[in-house]
Amino acid sequence: MFVPVTLRLLEGFGQSLSIFFLTLLFAIPGGLIICFGSMSKFTPLRAFVRFVVWVIRGTPLMLQLLIIFFGPGLILPSLAEALPASVVEVMPAWLYNWMMDPPLLDRFAAAIVAFSLNYACYFSEIYRGGIEGVPYGQYEAGQVLGMTKMQVFFRVVLMQVVKRIIAPMGNEIITLIKDTSLARVISIYEIIWAGESFIKKGMIWPLFYTGAFYLIFSALLTWLFGRLEKKLSYYKI
Amino acid sequence: MKKTLALILAALMTSGMLAACTEKTTDSDLEYVQNNGKMIVGITDYAPMDYIGEVGEWTGFDAEFAQMVCDELDVDCEFFVLADWGKKFLELDAKNIDVIWNGMTITEEVIKSTNCSDPYVVNAQVLVMKADVVGNYADTASLAELKVAVENGSAGQTAAIDAGIPEGNIIATQDQAAALMEVAAGASDACVIDITMANAMTGEGTSYADLAAGIALTSEEYGIGFRKGSDLTAKVNELMKTWKADGTLQALADKYGLTLAE
Repeated sequence: MFVPVTLRLLEGFGQSLSIFFLTLLFAIPGGLIICFGSMSKFTPLRAFVRFVVWVIRGTPLMLQLLIIFFGPGLILPSLAEALPASVVEVMPAWLYNWMMDPPLLDRFAAAIVAFSLNYACYFSEIYRGGIEGVPYGQYEAGQVLGMTKMQVFFRVVLMQVVKRIIAPMGNEIITLIKDTSLARVISIYEIIWAGESFIKKGMIWPLFYTGAFYLIFSALLTWLFGRLEKKLSYYKI
Repeated sequence: MKKTLALILAALMTSGMLAACTEKTTDSDLEYVQNNGKMIVGITDYAPMDYIGEVGEWTGFDAEFAQMVCDELDVDCEFFVLADWGKKFLELDAKNIDVIWNGMTITEEVIKSTNCSDPYVVNAQVLVMKADVVGNYADTASLAELKVAVENGSAGQTAAIDAGIPEGNIIATQDQAAALMEVAAGASDACVIDITMANAMTGEGTSYADLAAGIALTSEEYGIGFRKGSDLTAKVNELMKTWKADGTLQALADKYGLTLAE
């Protein structure tokens, strides 16, 4: 029984890893964009971005998954029906039809959107902490050397930010691999799902066995971040 | 000393035999139950058929139904929880229980091992879809193109596979409620769930007013199992007919959200 269960769980873990890597792919740069928004000198933009970050960080990821996948199909048609007749007359027919029968995101795409958005918001706050922690003297030094603002950020500040955020990022990234298990609420067959499926066949141990997969993977991540930290610990005396 | 012991033993044995004789005065199960003054009803804890209610007593459709029959026979109703559902026929034959009354699906095995009553409740796995298209799907052959949500590991999942829906079109969800939500949101075209749940959660006045139940993929009927050759079966069938005619059973079925057998 051990080998088929392991294979089945590995298949599920493959799905977990796809969510993990795709989320990182979108959330790491996405977080930087959100971070710039939340530090913008243009007040309405800053207020808007901070509001979004508050909502995303303030609600459970599981809820966000459900809303992004099921929300359009549940909310838009009833919204269209609730519109007064006078509004329906003036609005374009295609918009009304689109609301009545909204196109839905693919299951997996919905999960990636939800995870990326959620993690980008968390990452943006880590970035912001890192950027604001770089002493102002570094900017002044860049200016003295005749660099543009862009050059100062990318050549002087960014590398120092990377150094500063390695530890908190490692923390979030380890959380991410465990959070992928939430995707099963929209029927994505990740590893916990696979483990739970065995319960109905009268086997409970496969569910607990899934823990081993997470542990091994997070050990790998821990080791990786440990090395990265060591490599970036130049200037330290 | 030895003689006295032998005498006592002999006396004990004869009295034992006599007792055995008096016990076997009748072949009628009905009289046996009435002589005992109680009917022992074999159940398991299984809502909404038999479960412990708020006041700590057995309640549920079957529990109330059994109580009504016992009142009619003028005997006490004693519930006995079967520790092992697989041994229910043995318990029945050994007279540890007088009847198996627990939402038991009538199967060939049940008919062979018990004197089973007429079917009283039906359970079915039905297809639930958007109400405006449900009429277009009248047979299982028309379902091949649909994306169908089912509860992972449920009877509905088995029914969907048996109906010939391609495995790639079957979406396994966490529970029946999630399967319904798939359909409501348009993520799946249909779902296969228990008729009991479909009746309670779809149609006018529910949160899924625009969904409706379509064809049944499988259906099963519940029966009450008495001992082989028992005359209680005929008695209960007769009572059932009366209570069906006067609406008593329908009221009970409505209370627990069940569907009576025709």
